[in-house]
Amino acid sequence: MPSNGSSSGAAVWAILRKECRSEWRTRYGLNAALLFAITTLTSVSFAVGRLTDRTDMLSALLWVVLLFAALASLSHAFVREVEGHTLTLLRLVASPTAIALGKLLFNLLFLAVIEAVTVPLYLALMGAPPPRWGAFLALLGLGSLALACATTLVGAVISQTRGRGALFAGVSLPLLLPILAASVSGTRAQWLGGAIGPEARLLAAYAAALLAVSLVLYDHVWED
Amino acid sequence: MIARASLFVWITAWMVAAFVWAPLVPVLGETTRVLYFHIPAAWVTVLALAWSMGHSALYLKRRSMEHDHQAAAAAEIGILFCVAATVSGSLWAKAMWGAYWNWDPRETSIFFMMLIYAAYLALRSAIDQEERRARLSAVYSAIAFVSVPFLMFVVPRIYYSLHPDPIINPRGKVDMDPRIRIVFLAMLVGFTGLFFWLQSLRVRVARIEHRRGEP
Amino acid sequence: MALPAAGPGVAVACEVHDLSHRYGRRTGLEPVSFALQGPGVAAVTGPNGVGKSTLLRILAGLLRPQRGASALSVAGRPIGPSERRCWVGYASPELSFYDELSSEENLRFAAETRGLAEPGAAAGAALARVGLASRAADRVAALSSGMKQRLRLAFALLHRPPVLLLDEPGSHMDEEGRVMLAGVVDRERRTGLVLIATNEEREWRLAEQRIELRGRGLGHPA
Repeated sequence: MPSNGSSSGAAVWAILRKECRSEWRTRYGLNAALLFAITTLTSVSFAVGRLTDRTDMLSALLWVVLLFAALASLSHAFVREVEGHTLTLLRLVASPTAIALGKLLFNLLFLAVIEAVTVPLYLALMGAPPPRWGAFLALLGLGSLALACATTLVGAVISQTRGRGALFAGVSLPLLLPILAASVSGTRAQWLGGAIGPEARLLAAYAAALLAVSLVLYDHVWED
Repeated sequence: MIARASLFVWITAWMVAAFVWAPLVPVLGETTRVLYFHIPAAWVTVLALAWSMGHSALYLKRRSMEHDHQAAAAAEIGILFCVAATVSGSLWAKAMWGAYWNWDPRETSIFFMMLIYAAYLALRSAIDQEERRARLSAVYSAIAFVSVPFLMFVVPRIYYSLHPDPIINPRGKVDMDPRIRIVFLAMLVGFTGLFFWLQSLRVRVARIEHRRGEP
Repeated sequence: MALPAAGPGVAVACEVHDLSHRYGRRTGLEPVSFALQGPGVAAVTGPNGVGKSTLLRILAGLLRPQRGASALSVAGRPIGPSERRCWVGYASPELSFYDELSSEENLRFAAETRGLAEPGAAAGAALARVGLASRAADRVAALSSGMKQRLRLAFALLHRPPVLLLDEPGSHMDEEGRVMLAGVVDRERRTGLVLIATNEEREWRLAEQRIELRGRGLGHPA
């Protein structure tokens, strides 16, 4: 019995669960990503040492580490489909929008796991002052959302080309710079006791714009 | 033929005029001359980007390869002018303020445009199939378009406040002497003509390659 | 969206007009036109590289053709390319499953994503129809090529679609598998349209109509 489009929510949820299950069974994606994040963090800490009162450096380096971790790991959600040749299967059971949202939510979850490990380690290793948790987590959340929106689309595009990791990083970068700037600025502001309003608004607006435009574009990403 | 020749004569004539006829801007000194080259180059960079992105959107809508030819050609020419604008601007900055690069808002903006151009062209070079290349680069162009307002206006302001700079930017804010304005506008026209001429050449090559069935 | 009753004989019409596709320099499918009516079964035949698989991909809505268009309608209702996946069951050699999941999990995922009412039951039923019920819990990586082929057929049948597009459905199958395939085709031809792309005589013998593709195809540069 043919299904109808109104079950899109169910489709997104099913895809998300499948991603989690596949990731759990193979686990190399998450392992590699965590290893990379910790390696980057260790390098930074080793090279720079404790930065107790340098809030500008602290916020900048935090986001550089997170950016690197994201660029190293978030493309693999689609690359795995392409290398396993399962994209045809996916396209036959779900609409492009459902696939995109499922993968986006998975990437967001993935990022959250990486951040849950990396951020506390960073704060501890770098001797950072205690953050204003509300503002800090808001920036982390919004920045990650925008990051996931941009990299999921770029990942979908790159997975169909000859290029892989380096191309993914280079092509994503222009899209990620506004996120970097706003997140760094906002993180610094919350450490200095200032308001994060402008930066948070920028991140939210950017994430919304990226999401809206990419949802329209996903219909054109898979056509052959 | 006539058009090419007149374009050549136009640009040459006004370049000469820039040296012998137009006066200097007091605060800029001899470096005034750069503004006849640097700003038109930056203008063409923006024009080419808009042209490319516009045709990318049209490609997604109409699926005619002509739009892809236009988009790709504009990107290739745009990055050339972008490099020219960046380098000339950097030299000017060195002459004026002693540093080749300051990350002030305009420098940051032109750098971002270079990143977008480079990413677009790198993406294209990684796809062999013609239709897929056209479609995916058009998709990227569309999403890059979203980042442009954020990159051009918002980020420089945030970045600027992160790195406050007491440098006053005289470009464009100067009350232009009429002769300066004339030469400047003439060069703007000349550069625009240069862009469209190069664009038409590149598109013609692309059409031939497409007809011959080359990837 | 109103669904036709999944009872006997849903009227299916499939029509292509001057449909062609190029892969870069090489032609994948030379211009072809035909019209098919269902219920029934038809075969698309032709030499290797002539574009049988390309044609099926286009009909399934997976590939956007360079020129021309395909039209599919079920019970009088036209189905656009983006909706085809709901109404079409597609199986081809390049359809792969998630190796780390079991057959049952793969089909269950497909059923859930499609929005079927009882995904577990549908998956189980499909596996039983193709004779894979005993291997339901095995990871796909452990299946032989013949079994993977059965799984593809099960996947195509999962949502009981009125149109079946089968690309070389009998490849890798043993004799028992081919008997099962013939049985499935025989049953499905009564309720909908089955289109088989094949080079094998015993496969196109299952069909009532036959479309033969000629032309240069991928083997010869355009």
